[in-house]
Amino acid sequence: MIELKNIEKYYANKGVKSYILRHVSTSIKQGEFVSIMGPSGAGKSTLLNILGMLEEPTYGAYEFMGEDVVSLNERKRIELYRNHIGFVFQAYHLIDEMTVAENIEAPLLYKKVSSAERKSRVADVLDRFNMVAKKDLFPNQLSGGQQQLVGIARALVAQPSIILADEPTGNLQSPQALQIMELFKKLNEEENITIIQVTHSEVNAAYGSRILHLLDGVIKEDLSLQQVI
Amino acid sequence: MYLLNFKIALRNLLRNKMASLINISGLAIGLAACLMLLLYVSYEWNFDRGFKKSGDTYQLMFNFYGADHHIRSTGNQSPNTIAAVLKEEMPEVENISRILWASKRLLANGKNSFKVNGRYADPELLKIFDFKVLHGNLAKALDAPNSIVLTAGTARKLFGSTDVLNRGLKFENQVEVKVTAVIEDLPPNTSYDFDCLNSWKLYEQLNTWVIEPNWHNYSYFTLFTLKKGTDVGLFNEKIKNLSRKHAPSSFSEAEPFAYPLVKLHLYDRFLNGKVDGGQIDRVRTFGILALSILVIACINFMNLSTARSQKRAKEVGIKKTIGASRSSLVSQFLMESLLLTLVSVVIAVVLVELSLPKFNQLVSAELHIAYGDPLNWIGVFLLILFTGIVAGSYPAFYLSGFNPVQTLKKTVGLKSSFSLNFRQVLVVVQFGFAVLLIIATLIMYDQLAYLRKKPLGYQVNALVEMPHEGNLYLKYDLLKERLLASGAITSMCQSSGSISQQNSNSTGMEWEGMSEGDKKMSVNQIYTGYDFVKTNGLKLSEGRDFKKGLGSDSVAVMLSQTAVKMMGLKKPVGQTVVFQDVKRQVVGVFEDITWGDPAKREKPMIIAYNPNNSDVITMRLNTDNDLKDNVEMIGQITKEINPDFPVDVRFLDQLVAEKIKDEATMVTLSNLFGGLAIFISCLGLFGLSAFSAEQRTKEIGVRKVLGASVQGIVGLLSFNFVKTVLVALLISMPVAYLLMNSWLNKFDYHISIGWMVFVQTGILIVVIALLTVSWQAYRAAKGNPVDALKYE
Ligand SMILES: Nc1ncnc2c1ncn2[C@@H]1O[C@H](COP(=O)(O)OP(=O)(O)OP(=O)(O)O)[C@@H](O)[C@H]1O
Ligand SMILES: [Mg+2]
Repeated sequence: MIELKNIEKYYANKGVKSYILRHVSTSIKQGEFVSIMGPSGAGKSTLLNILGMLEEPTYGAYEFMGEDVVSLNERKRIELYRNHIGFVFQAYHLIDEMTVAENIEAPLLYKKVSSAERKSRVADVLDRFNMVAKKDLFPNQLSGGQQQLVGIARALVAQPSIILADEPTGNLQSPQALQIMELFKKLNEEENITIIQVTHSEVNAAYGSRILHLLDGVIKEDLSLQQVI
Repeated sequence: MYLLNFKIALRNLLRNKMASLINISGLAIGLAACLMLLLYVSYEWNFDRGFKKSGDTYQLMFNFYGADHHIRSTGNQSPNTIAAVLKEEMPEVENISRILWASKRLLANGKNSFKVNGRYADPELLKIFDFKVLHGNLAKALDAPNSIVLTAGTARKLFGSTDVLNRGLKFENQVEVKVTAVIEDLPPNTSYDFDCLNSWKLYEQLNTWVIEPNWHNYSYFTLFTLKKGTDVGLFNEKIKNLSRKHAPSSFSEAEPFAYPLVKLHLYDRFLNGKVDGGQIDRVRTFGILALSILVIACINFMNLSTARSQKRAKEVGIKKTIGASRSSLVSQFLMESLLLTLVSVVIAVVLVELSLPKFNQLVSAELHIAYGDPLNWIGVFLLILFTGIVAGSYPAFYLSGFNPVQTLKKTVGLKSSFSLNFRQVLVVVQFGFAVLLIIATLIMYDQLAYLRKKPLGYQVNALVEMPHEGNLYLKYDLLKERLLASGAITSMCQSSGSISQQNSNSTGMEWEGMSEGDKKMSVNQIYTGYDFVKTNGLKLSEGRDFKKGLGSDSVAVMLSQTAVKMMGLKKPVGQTVVFQDVKRQVVGVFEDITWGDPAKREKPMIIAYNPNNSDVITMRLNTDNDLKDNVEMIGQITKEINPDFPVDVRFLDQLVAEKIKDEATMVTLSNLFGGLAIFISCLGLFGLSAFSAEQRTKEIGVRKVLGASVQGIVGLLSFNFVKTVLVALLISMPVAYLLMNSWLNKFDYHISIGWMVFVQTGILIVVIALLTVSWQAYRAAKGNPVDALKYE
C-alpha cells in the first residue's frame, strides 16, 4: 500500500544542504507490521512524518494506496487522515480539554459519522480497552500507559488501514509497553491493520514482522522477521 | 461537533479563569459602550422621523447677507408674513404653518394649575404633523382662537383623565380656552415638541404687535410640506428672492430656503450658508469613542489568545492529524470568541441598564432598551457577530494555520518573531488610544476651566431672575419697593431678556459717520428700565446708567465698548444714534459682557431704555442674609402680588454654567472613555505580563539559581512592556497635539497647549503600565527557583 521511491529530505542552511534522508526506497504492503530503528538523529521520525504526510520530501516519489501523495491537495490529504491513517505519538498528544470519551470520539466527528454510530463505536472501543469506567475523566487524570491506550483507541476508532506510531512506548514502563505491543500485534493479526512504528527497543521490534534500520538517513538494513524465525 | 466544540470552549473559559475574566470584563465594557452608542444613534437619527410626512416636511431658513455681500449668518426663524406669501405664490407648497418657540404657559383647571410647554401655531400644522389623536378632531382643532390641543400627559395632569373634550381651561390667567383635541404624548426625540398647542389667532389677540405684518422681525418658525416629487433644489431657487422682492431693504438682506425637517436636529450649525455639523458631531465623537473601546477590548482577546498559542498549538496539531480541516478549526476558534462575546453581552446589557439614567442626563436624551423591539435584537445579534469575528478571526486564522509537525515536535519553538511583534503593535494601538484620550481630556478640561473663569463682565454671584408676567407688569414698582424693604435683595431691574443668554439682536442702527454698509451690522440688544447696571454689576467705562427723573432718558441708550469701537465713535457719550427708528442719546459705555457663547467673540451690544418691553426681572440678593431665606422671601412677596402664577426664581450662575454644558459633556465623556480605555488596556497588559512571566518561569528559576536579584528580574520582565508603552506615547502625542489644536481653534477664545499636559500624561501612563506589569514580574521573581525548575 506504500511505495517510496528515492525519497530525499534535506534542510538548506546557509547554502549547505544537510541531508536527513537519502535515497530511501521501499514498499510496505497491507498487513505488514514494520518497525523503524536506528540511532538518535538518524531520521526515523522524519521518515514516519513523510509517510504520514505531515512533512513533504524534498525530492522523490511517494504513492499511498496507488495515489501520488506529492501532488495531493489539502482536502484529499484530510480525507486520507479521516479514513485511512491513525497516528499514535510518544507524548500521547491527547486533547487536554476533552474527556477520554470525547478524545476517542473526535476523529469520528471530523469523519461526519452519525451520532448513533459514534456512540456505539466509542462504546465498543472503550469496552475493548477496558476503559469504560474512565470514559469521563480528563487526560491529566490518567496514568501514562492509560493515556497511550486512549491515544491508540483514538487512532483505531476511525477504523484506519494503517497506524503510524512514533515511539509509542517511549515514555512508558516496560510492563505497560509490552501491553501496547501485544495490542498492536493483535490488531495487526486479527484486523489486518498495517502498523509502522518507530522504536529504540529490540524487544518491541520483535513484535513486528519487519525491521527497517536507518543510519544517517539511509536504509542500512531491511529484514523480515519471519525469515529470521 | 458544534456541541462538542461548544463544550470545549466552555471548558477553556473555565480553565483559564484569569484570561476569561480579563476578556469578558473588557468585552463587556466595550460592548456596553457600543450598545449605548446604538441606542443613542438610533434615538438621534429617529429625531422627527415619526410622522407620515416627515420626509416631505421642511423648515424655512434664511441666509443673512452682511455688508460685504457674503452670507453673514443663517437663521431658522422667519418673519410672520412669509408663510402666507409662500402658500399663495408657490404651488409646490402643500401645507404651511407658523409656529412659535415653546415657552412656559400657565394652564389652570380651577385651582389646579400648572406651567407647561406651550406653542402657538396655524391650523395647518395639524396637517403637517399627523399627531396620534385620542379625542377630538385634529382637522378643526386650531380653527377657533380659544381652542387648545393637549397631550395626554398634560390632560391627565390637569384633569386626571384624557377624555376631556370641550372642557374649559384658563390660559395664562388671561383667557378661557376649550380643549378641542387630546393627542398622544410626543416622543422625546421631537424638535417641535409641546405639552399644549394654541391657535395662532389667540397669540395675535393677546399680543397685538404680532398682527402687524413685519418682514424684518425674524421671530417665528415656518414649517411646511412640499407636494410629492418636488425638486427642493429648484424650489429653493424659486424662493430665493422672495424676501428681496416683498421687502427690499437697505439694512437687511435675507434669502429664504427650505431645510429638511429630518436634518434639523443633527445638522443645525451653518457656516457661510453651508451646513457645518451640529449635534451630529457629538454623535460621531461618541461613536468613535465607543467603537474604539470595543476594539481595545477585542485586542485584549486577540493578544491573550495568540499569547496562549503554544498551548493551543498542540491541540491544533492533534486535530489536524485526526482529520480536522482548517475551516473546522477556524470555526471552532470563532465559536470560542462568539461564546465569550455572548457572555459579555449579557453583562453589557446589565451595565447599560445600570448606567442609562446617568447617561441620559449627560447627553440629555431619553434612551431606554426596548426589549420588545425585534430591531434591537437584530442590532445586538449583529454586534455579537461583529465583535466575535473581529476578536476571534485573527487568533482563529493564526492558530489554525499551524503545521502539525512543528506543533507536535517539542524542539521547534512557536515564537515566530512576527507574532510577538504583532502583539506589541496591538498593545501600541491600545495605549496610543488611551494616551490620546487622556491628553484630549486634560486639554478639554483646561479649556473648560478657562471659559468658566473668563470674566463675564457682570457679577453673577447672588444674582437671580424670574419671569416678568401677570400682575407683575402693573405692580412692578410695588414689587420692587416691597422686596427692597424686606431686605432680601439689594437691587432689582427689569429687562427684555435674561442677561445669561443671548436672546435678541437687530440690524439697521444708524449713527453719525457711519458708512452705508454699516446698516447691516448686527447688534445685540436688551431693553430695560432703571438699575440695570447696579443690579447686574456691569462696569461703566464712561457715562452713567439711566436715571429716574431725567425725562430725556426715556430715549437713552448705553453701548458696549465693542460697539463703540466698531462704530468708530470718538466721544460716544452724548452722541445720538437712530435705533429701531427712534433717535436716542448715548448716556454710557459699559465693558463688554459675555452674553452669547463664551468662546465666541462678542457682537456689539446696546442697552436701551424701554420698560414696556420686559420679560425678566433680575434681582441681586442681599448677601448679609442666608440666600435661601432671600429666595423664600422673594417667593412669598411675589406670590402675594401675583397669586395666579407659580414663582420661578433661578440663579444666574447656574444658567451661565448651562452654556458650556456641551463642552462639559464632552469632557465627561472623554474622561469616562479615557478611563475605560486605560482600564481595559491595562487588563490586557496584565494578562500578557502574567502569561510571559508564566512562560519564563524556567528562565527566571535558572537566573535566580545563577544569582540574579529580584529587582533585576522584575526589570527584565517589565522592560519589554514598558518599551511598548513608550512607543505608544511617542506616536500618539503628536497626533493628540494636532487633533486638539484643531479642536481649540474652533473657539475664538482658547488656551494654548502647554508641554506640561504631555509630561503629566507620559508619567501617568508609564507609572500605570509599570505597576501593572511589575506586579506579575515581582510575583514570578519572588517564586522559589526550585518550584520553577521542577516542572521541566
Ligand atoms: N526543521 C529542521 N531543520 C533542520 N534540521 C532538522 C529539522 N528537523 C529535524 N532536523 C534534523 O533532522 C535529523 C533527523 O531528525 P529526526 O527527528 O528524524 O531523528 P530521529 O531519528 O527521530 O531521532 P530520535 O531518535 O532522537 O527521535 C536530526 O539531526 C535533526 O536535527
Ligand atoms: Mg524521533
